Amino acid sequence: MTAAVTHGDVPRSEPRRHSELADIHHVASRIMVYLLALTAVSLVGFPLFWMVICSLKPGGELYVVPPNFLPQEWTLQNYRDLFVQTNFPVYFLNSLIVAGGATLLSLVVGGLGAYSLSRFDFFGIGTFSKAALICYMLPEVLIVLPLYIYVVDFGLADTLFALIVANTAFTLPLTLWFMRSYYNAIPAGLEEAAMVDGCTRLGAMMRVTVPLAIPGIVSVGVFSFNHAWNEFLFALVFTSSERNKVLPLGLATWIGQDNIYSWGMLLAGAVLVTIPVVLFYLVVQRKLVVGLAEGGTKGE
Amino acid sequence: MAEPRTVQPGDRTLAYVTLAPSAAILILLAGVPTVTVFFTAMQDVGMGETSGPYVGLENFAWALQSQVFYKALWNTFVWVFGSVCAEMVLGLGLALLLNKTFMFRGVARAIILAPYLVPTVVAVLVWRYMFHDIVGVLNHMLMVVGVIDKPLLWLNSGTWAMVSVIIVGVWKFFPFVVLALLGILQSIPQEQYEAARIDGASAFQQFWRITLPYVLPVFILTALLRTIWTFHKFEIIYLMTGGGPLDATTTLPILVYFKGFVDFELGRAAAVAILTFLILVVLLVAYFLLMKRAEARQ
Repeated sequence: MTAAVTHGDVPRSEPRRHSELADIHHVASRIMVYLLALTAVSLVGFPLFWMVICSLKPGGELYVVPPNFLPQEWTLQNYRDLFVQTNFPVYFLNSLIVAGGATLLSLVVGGLGAYSLSRFDFFGIGTFSKAALICYMLPEVLIVLPLYIYVVDFGLADTLFALIVANTAFTLPLTLWFMRSYYNAIPAGLEEAAMVDGCTRLGAMMRVTVPLAIPGIVSVGVFSFNHAWNEFLFALVFTSSERNKVLPLGLATWIGQDNIYSWGMLLAGAVLVTIPVVLFYLVVQRKLVVGLAEGGTKGE
Repeated sequence: MAEPRTVQPGDRTLAYVTLAPSAAILILLAGVPTVTVFFTAMQDVGMGETSGPYVGLENFAWALQSQVFYKALWNTFVWVFGSVCAEMVLGLGLALLLNKTFMFRGVARAIILAPYLVPTVVAVLVWRYMFHDIVGVLNHMLMVVGVIDKPLLWLNSGTWAMVSVIIVGVWKFFPFVVLALLGILQSIPQEQYEAARIDGASAFQQFWRITLPYVLPVFILTALLRTIWTFHKFEIIYLMTGGGPLDATTTLPILVYFKGFVDFELGRAAAVAILTFLILVVLLVAYFLLMKRAEARQ
């Protein structure tokens, strides 16, 4: 709000001094914008900066009062400890399996279904797409109770399989909605042209529409992966053994025991959990741009 | 909708066959559970059991008569109201800032949006380290600046624990508001501002007469969406404070978790979950009605 206020109200009654005043005003408002941006970036970015910096401090320095803003001694010891002394690699692998599994399942099932949601309007399809949106809005705490009952009753407690399936309850509606709008943006005329040339509907879909939808598939894949990668409640309720813990759960159980696990190791773990998310985001960002560009030229 | 002009004979079959797996999964994972939870809420489920004898509405009666429930309801209100207000103000402010052109804007935008990408458990970890009474950098900085003269017990006092979880929640989720509002800000036709400037409108008048009306529908929708999501957020509070100290940050989702998986009273947990859900349904209906109106206006 302050940013908007500082912008360009130039007195118009004094034409001769106009430009000079405007210049001062302009410079002042530029400085203001930079100051505000700098403040915002430092405040918002500080926790992340602090996480990375502190993960590189040796154990003793993490408990120094007052804290050092930069480590006196840079070290990767915390990262080494994480791999040698803890089950971090197991958690990491489990998280990959769960997030990868849920994403794959939703992409295959949802990617297929979304095509029909976008292209057809037969009986029940409109209702179904609304129902899928409602599923996405259901609170996790409501679903977790009955799912826990099924998991126990079917003997799936403490398995990664249960986690994959449970995560799909949210990643599938996400995929359906996202892909539906993505397919909507691909002109149906392209498929019809292919069908005129002798393709079947299925052939046209597989050869024309799906390849065009790849950027969309990649980005929704990243979103569902991210969702499952971060998911905590299902993991907390469904899994218990060290062998089946995913990253969020594994790290969370360490937080309460800061005597055993030093903050250094926890922060190093935090950095490593964040890296895949950031990498994936960079991938989507590029794909999204490419997708938009392609959509633009092909749509004309 | 990109509706094809021609419907082929096999299309109906293709549609139903491709949708069947999605439908099956959603029915099994969302439809059936939602029904089940109503049945569970009417049972007296013992410890270690997954079902029990039917007791009618007794669990609901328990919830509506217990202080714990109302305490959690109040805490939920404080948590949602505090978080959403702060997120919207901060989100609007930073969206307006990022809408200006300046050097390194791309970098600034990436850093400001970053918390939204960070996994919740990571956010909690870092903030808990920063909130630490003794070694925490936050107390240190506030003391250096002179805001406080002795370390605050952030997570160990009722009021400050709530403030702490709200701070973390806002930090994590305000970028969503920035993203939503930035999108709409960038779509405002610049000619409107030029015309206003020629007519001698001050910057404040431009904001009040052009920006605000343009942004308002999206602003309200975003606020409502954030309300819905914040309302049933579980892990931030659970990981920051575990609902404590002394229930000071126990919101409704936390209460459901403790009833269901710590006290192992699934029936009562289900009743609280349904009451939570009913409040949510009201918010959801409001959201969809507003969205429909916004779409109709466009």
